[in-house]
Amino acid sequence: MFTPKRRPGPRRPGCGRRALFAYAIFTSVLSLLLSPAVVAQVPLRKTLQSAPFKIAYETYTNDNWEIFVMNADGSHALNLTRTPNEHEHYPQVSPDGTKICFSVDAGEGRDTIRSLFVMDVDGGNRKKLVDHAREPFWSPDSKVIGFLPQEYPKFNVIDYYTQGMSFYDLNTGKIEAHVNSTNLHHLYNPCFAPNGKWIVATVHAGMGVSHAILLIAAHGTNIINLNIPGCRPCISPDGKQIAWGSGDHEVDAAPIDLDSDSPVVGTWRLRIQDKTNETYHVDWSPDSRFLSLSRGPASKGDPTKRGTFQSACEIVGVYAPGWNLCAVSAEREGILDLNQATDADFTMLTTNGLSNKESAWFRSNPKKESKR
Amino acid sequence: MVSVESEKGEQAVTPKACCGTALAVVVLLSACGRSAPDSAGGTKPEDASANSRSERGEPAEIVTSSGVAMVSLPGGEFVMGTDKGNPDEAPAHKVKVSAFLIDKYEVTHEMFTKVQLPNPSHWQDNPKKPVERVRWRDAKQYCNERSLLEGLKPCYDEKTADWDCDYAANGYRLPTEAEWEYACRAGAEGPYDFGQPDKLRQYAWFADNAGEKTHVAGEKKPNRWGIFDLYGNVSEWCEDVYSPTYYKESPPVDPRGPPNPGKDVQRVMRGGSWKASADMCRASFRQGQRTGDSDACFFTDYCGFRCVRRASPDELRQLKIKAK
Repeated sequence: MFTPKRRPGPRRPGCGRRALFAYAIFTSVLSLLLSPAVVAQVPLRKTLQSAPFKIAYETYTNDNWEIFVMNADGSHALNLTRTPNEHEHYPQVSPDGTKICFSVDAGEGRDTIRSLFVMDVDGGNRKKLVDHAREPFWSPDSKVIGFLPQEYPKFNVIDYYTQGMSFYDLNTGKIEAHVNSTNLHHLYNPCFAPNGKWIVATVHAGMGVSHAILLIAAHGTNIINLNIPGCRPCISPDGKQIAWGSGDHEVDAAPIDLDSDSPVVGTWRLRIQDKTNETYHVDWSPDSRFLSLSRGPASKGDPTKRGTFQSACEIVGVYAPGWNLCAVSAEREGILDLNQATDADFTMLTTNGLSNKESAWFRSNPKKESKR
Repeated sequence: MVSVESEKGEQAVTPKACCGTALAVVVLLSACGRSAPDSAGGTKPEDASANSRSERGEPAEIVTSSGVAMVSLPGGEFVMGTDKGNPDEAPAHKVKVSAFLIDKYEVTHEMFTKVQLPNPSHWQDNPKKPVERVRWRDAKQYCNERSLLEGLKPCYDEKTADWDCDYAANGYRLPTEAEWEYACRAGAEGPYDFGQPDKLRQYAWFADNAGEKTHVAGEKKPNRWGIFDLYGNVSEWCEDVYSPTYYKESPPVDPRGPPNPGKDVQRVMRGGSWKASADMCRASFRQGQRTGDSDACFFTDYCGFRCVRRASPDELRQLKIKAK
């Protein structure tokens, strides 16, 4: 059920008894007319059917991690990778909607090598970028892919197993370290701000902090602790909001002024809750109007499955039984409880439970859209 | 510029060598402990040999091929638990434990990163501090990595849900609860091997003296078998499933804990920590702790561990000769 935040009510008319009576009649009729039973709200799925977006995501099918793409309403899921001997995950679509970068695990167990690749959004022109790296993220101009080098050569599935930060230039093929790379340690889930000034990421047990969500200057040494609990932040494409997992069962969205030299996160305006399932991997639609997230029961993976590891199931490479993707309207405010939400507020995008995680929205036809 | 500061404003701790080259000497642990038993306060520690029937001689320090100091403990029999503590510590019962090697110190940051594992610790100011915020599976992974580093057969099967333990393998593993208590008691009876509870400050970092943080391993006095920080600094994972009633049915020889109930499993943690009261630092004190294995970030900042392993008599002899 959607619970809006309390706001000031409408100003009352004059204080005469008749006026009050008329006002009471008016507001009763109005509230009746606006109740869900009377007003036919448009289901979110239907809204998404006409949205010009697609969503890439990772899933585990036929003993293999693959990257799929589906329509924004969850229809027409298509396997882009089809590589039985390699495991693809963590798709990130370029802001211009033309390319997908992602991670690939080859080998088994501690001998696994995680590499980064890029391909076109239709799965073509697959190209390897770098070994022993993870968690790629796009620059706003879609020309550079940031990534986090692995902390040590030996494989480990833990998401914060990273040391430093680097950038791969798609035009030149050159890799350049972040200017402050030597001081960046144990970051995970980085994301560029659309203005190109900042990179937002989580840190765990590194850089002198126990755990935090940080803003890191993209081209400098400035680092700001946003002082918000949780992990896995994501900046809206319009640059005005940040969404993040504020707990295992909670995703928040709040305003942020990223053009400031000292951005601060405002009070959350939307809180998505699910007391039954865990909720992770929030991502914004290109128009900043919708959010997608992964949702499923807590577990520690299934090490008997090929290409998977045992750890928290929200981590890349850990099988998450029963996990699916869902979407909500980001224009809502207040608390949205997914177990009571109506189809106007929320819709499931996948239902097969095959460890569907790490969704990434993109424009389905960027050239056509840009002409509008 | 706004710099990132530590969430805890703790003071820097002077590094202190705890497991370096100085340990490459065999130390007969009778010289480490105190020989005079303390008979006051209802605590009557005895000489190690009095309560344990040595199978392979006296406790002795060895250094592993990767440079980790361990103490070789003879097998023996001891009284596990107490009838004077919490309900889960009763009944006191005799247990026989086979000989084993146990880490002289809790696993430190530098030991953890040496096998290329990401250090999850809250306090990052000194690599010689014990690791904490370690999930049960992370501790087991360290054991396997250290086994591989030293050419030993790993004990844990990483393809099983609980990383089942092969006790016959010669690699590293977490101690059983019985092994941990046997090592902690060091042949003594009563809550502490050193006798009087008021001496706890000399042997342990706990809530009364730790200043709400961990400390460099090995700064306090060892127990009479030369093992450090068993009573405090960080609590230590054991292999066993925790059951408050296990002592009523546990086998008398090398008990390994009750079977996994499959749901809401807790594993045994032993020993006090920087966060623990004096009562929680007792040798027989038990606590069950959820493993944190389904948490990406495990925030329980008093959970650490140390390793044990079994060595054949021949291997042990060689280790002792090498250490000399």
